[in-house]
Amino acid sequence: MSAPAAAPAKVLPSRSDFDEKEKEKDVRTSNIVAARAVADAIRTSLGPKGMDKMIISPNNEVLISNDGATILQNLELRHPAAKMLAELAKAQDIEAGDGTTSVCVIAGSLLGAVSQLMAKGIHPSIISEAFNLALNKSLEVLVSMSVPVSLTDRVSLVKSATTSLNSKVVSQYTNLASIAVDAVLSVINPATAVNVNLKDIKLIKKLGGTIEDTELVQGLVFDQTASHTAGGPTRIQNAKIGLIQFCLSAPKTYMDNNIVVSDYSKMDKVIKEEPKLILEMCRKIQKSGCNVLLVQKSILRDAVNDLSLHYLAKLKILVIKDIERDDIEFICNTIGCQPVANIDSFTADKLGKADLVEEVGTSDGKIVKVTGIPNPGKTVTVLCRGSNKLVLDEAERSLHDALCVIRSLVKKKFLIAGGGAPEIEVSQQVTAFSKTLTGITSYCVRAYAEALEIIPYTLAENAGLHPISIVTELRNKHAQGEINSGINVRKGAITNILQENVVQPLLVSTSALTLATETVVMLLKIDDIATAR
Amino acid sequence: MSSQLAPIPILNQNASEERGEIARLSSFVGAIAITDLVKTTLGPKGMDKILISASNPNELIITNDGATILTKIYIDNPAAKILVDISRTQDDEVGDGTTSVCVLAGELLREGERLVQQKVHPQTIISGWRLALETARAALQSSTQDHSSDKVKFREDLLNIARTTLSSKILHTEKDHFANMVVDAVLRLNGNTNLDNIHIIKKSGGSLRESYLDEGFILEKKIGVGCPKRLENPKILIANTAMDTDKIKIFGGKVVVDSMTELAKMEDAEKEKMLNKCKKIVDHGINCFVNRQLVYNLPEQYFAEHGVMSIEHADFDGIERLALVTGAEIVSTFDHPELVKIGTCKLIEEVMIGEDKVIRFSGIPSGEACTIVLRGATSHILEEAERSIHDALCVLAVTVAETRTVLGAGCSEMIMSKAVDELAAITPGKKAMAIESFAKALRQIPTIIANNAGYDSSELVSQLKAAHHQGDKKAGLNMRDGCIGNAEELGVIESFKVKQQVLVSAHEAAEMIMRVDDILRAAPRQRSNLQH
Repeated sequence: MSAPAAAPAKVLPSRSDFDEKEKEKDVRTSNIVAARAVADAIRTSLGPKGMDKMIISPNNEVLISNDGATILQNLELRHPAAKMLAELAKAQDIEAGDGTTSVCVIAGSLLGAVSQLMAKGIHPSIISEAFNLALNKSLEVLVSMSVPVSLTDRVSLVKSATTSLNSKVVSQYTNLASIAVDAVLSVINPATAVNVNLKDIKLIKKLGGTIEDTELVQGLVFDQTASHTAGGPTRIQNAKIGLIQFCLSAPKTYMDNNIVVSDYSKMDKVIKEEPKLILEMCRKIQKSGCNVLLVQKSILRDAVNDLSLHYLAKLKILVIKDIERDDIEFICNTIGCQPVANIDSFTADKLGKADLVEEVGTSDGKIVKVTGIPNPGKTVTVLCRGSNKLVLDEAERSLHDALCVIRSLVKKKFLIAGGGAPEIEVSQQVTAFSKTLTGITSYCVRAYAEALEIIPYTLAENAGLHPISIVTELRNKHAQGEINSGINVRKGAITNILQENVVQPLLVSTSALTLATETVVMLLKIDDIATAR
Repeated sequence: MSSQLAPIPILNQNASEERGEIARLSSFVGAIAITDLVKTTLGPKGMDKILISASNPNELIITNDGATILTKIYIDNPAAKILVDISRTQDDEVGDGTTSVCVLAGELLREGERLVQQKVHPQTIISGWRLALETARAALQSSTQDHSSDKVKFREDLLNIARTTLSSKILHTEKDHFANMVVDAVLRLNGNTNLDNIHIIKKSGGSLRESYLDEGFILEKKIGVGCPKRLENPKILIANTAMDTDKIKIFGGKVVVDSMTELAKMEDAEKEKMLNKCKKIVDHGINCFVNRQLVYNLPEQYFAEHGVMSIEHADFDGIERLALVTGAEIVSTFDHPELVKIGTCKLIEEVMIGEDKVIRFSGIPSGEACTIVLRGATSHILEEAERSIHDALCVLAVTVAETRTVLGAGCSEMIMSKAVDELAAITPGKKAMAIESFAKALRQIPTIIANNAGYDSSELVSQLKAAHHQGDKKAGLNMRDGCIGNAEELGVIESFKVKQQVLVSAHEAAEMIMRVDDILRAAPRQRSNLQH
């Protein structure tokens, strides 16, 4: 613990400018360097021609992804500032679900601007104030260049989902975008919805087939197989589905129990009783008209045993066991059944109906599909297929991103051009705005505006185009008032990006800017790292 | 063992003693080091610290709150520990000013150290400080304003206080939004200072701007399957009871039967018992049942059938708050429905915050309770935001109880230091030096505020001093433009009680440390080694 023991109230010569103490400078520099390193690491993943990263986890599992949030979550980051960037990507993932790479790249670029500003002796708090000012202006610009979209306009929705999927490995498959749109539209009421609960859309992954085989099921898909004991049915038409939460096995009390057999003759009785009890229960189930039985998993005892499966099979009842308690609500919502916790209350009115319940084989084991539900529309299931585990995982993440994009559109019903057009436009407008300010603030706002050019720059770079010529041409176009000019990566030229159908939700852009600025401002305010208990 | 030159052992072998100059030096050094650590967080442009937990390197705290920093760091210096303690006391007493109190004490000690070097006896310094404290306190008191009679003006005051407190925190970018939020929350309490009525929940995602005050109570739980999801004017029973089965809590309780049928009957009996319990609960005439423990499938189904909304696994905190806000009573037996207080509100419904569904109880009868929903980019931002909101709420609650206010922005400090300076001028003897040092320490607060903002502190503070001596009693630092302004017009207002507490506690701590002339460190307790 060393401290300056003497020389308090230092009388320094006029400090018109901010000069940092050595330690604070070191802390800031190290924070900025660390955060920028992280941003640089994922920069090449940005855009439709972005590259993927392969991450090998400590237990030698391989993950290939293009999704910024996923990459950062799996990197083992140590530096506190680097961790904040990973958190930032996560936050963007939660808020908008897409643009996780962009948000980090923007934050990295802003930090680059910050380090230059600080080198000029500008105080961090002035920088952060100016950045907030610039942010507000940028948001205004973004809102002004957005176009409203209606949720009934399926084509626009598919376009924006396609933009999100473009950068992913699955981009050559066109079906995912429309699946995502249909999935979201079927769980909401397009006229009134302001938010989507993505938990109403269940994603199930099965190896085998290709991504093209991915389908949207208006109904349920169970990962489990139907019970095959004693040749039970695997396909039921006009199904009546019961969901039970009690156990079809020998009775067991919550307290410890013992059966004491006192003499030889009673032994037989005990042995015969068990089948009798179980058969009785199965009969009751059959009597209600139920022909598909879902059984909740029980940790205390066997939910079903061979005996009960045998009886149910004989009674032509299809059984799916090991349903998780967490899934109960989802299932109930979907097929309109009610869970039954006691055999005596197992009545016909608690059953759900479906046209067809059928076990389907895939190369990765079997699944059970429930289709033809009388009142669909509350939940849907998407069955993801892919030829190997890595592709499948990435397909699932991409689909999640696409779903989030649509959700963003439900939250804020505006679209904005992609392809770097909004960033360039914001950059230009904010630069113009900076000219109306005076003093250091103006300088900082301008630096902010310039930092935003990183997005088109990186897009061009990743696409193998010449970044400087592209960015300057973009500037030129925007200065002439073509606010929707963006980089057309496919053609390798600058075009009107709205006409190219490259659109994204407004929320993705606004939230990326807001979150990145918030994090940068937070990093700026830090001047010390201390060890705590 | 005994050689001729060895000193006569008085203390235990591992104990140590530091005396006189050395002891004083060590406590000064410790206290000043702590001060230097936290002083950069002071003021509207104060900086944050990252705290990395030594035990769990993944745990990060980013904070600007003095009390949080001080209680988390490793300290092995007795004087430093005293400062940590006063900061914590300040936090408990008034909730804010935790950094200021530590900084003021540190600056007093820095001045004290100089005087000691000039051979002024510590006792003289102490008696000088005491005189100075009285004068400063009187000056502070005379500068107070009280707008409690005028509702509109009082609200304006509260808003200003909230803004002042929040301006140094992470929320400064949205300080108007949050100031309105906390003032509304505190005013809803109607003079009640029990902050338990204000519930803060954090949901990551969104930005700080999207945080809001919800006039109801939010429980982060799920409603049971098949239950009604929306209830108007519900009758709520809050319970802490086992809803799996009433187990006999005797080890080895056992059922012995001689056939399966018997066992099945036993099982039915158990179920029957449970259903009876459910029936008793429903017989209370309720339609919402909140339990601290799990509600198993069987009772859940029973409740669903009877149209009762069941909410399971609301933890202790949840049920206690819920009981408080809905006016219900937490029960665990259900034999006397007539004695049980049933809670109510206007509406229970499921709402979505971010990605999660939560249960909202709105239209709370007492009207006092409310929930602040915080949104923010990362968990660090959220946690720091929660600490800031908590600080602001504390200060406002204090202000509602003690309505006098003083001016911030270094203005009160200057008023005090001016009074103390005047006292020094008319005090004969060495005490005057101590009094003068007190005034100087007070002036350090605006100096640090200016330094942190990157302005020329010597220039600004001397201008401020001159302004005050010329009779401008409202002059303060304008940290937006880096000049002297009118603190009242700038709206920088602080609670009188907080200010006074800072002054008194800091003086007390400084005096305590000043009085030390010997530090004895007891030998660590010997752990008996069992294996000889």
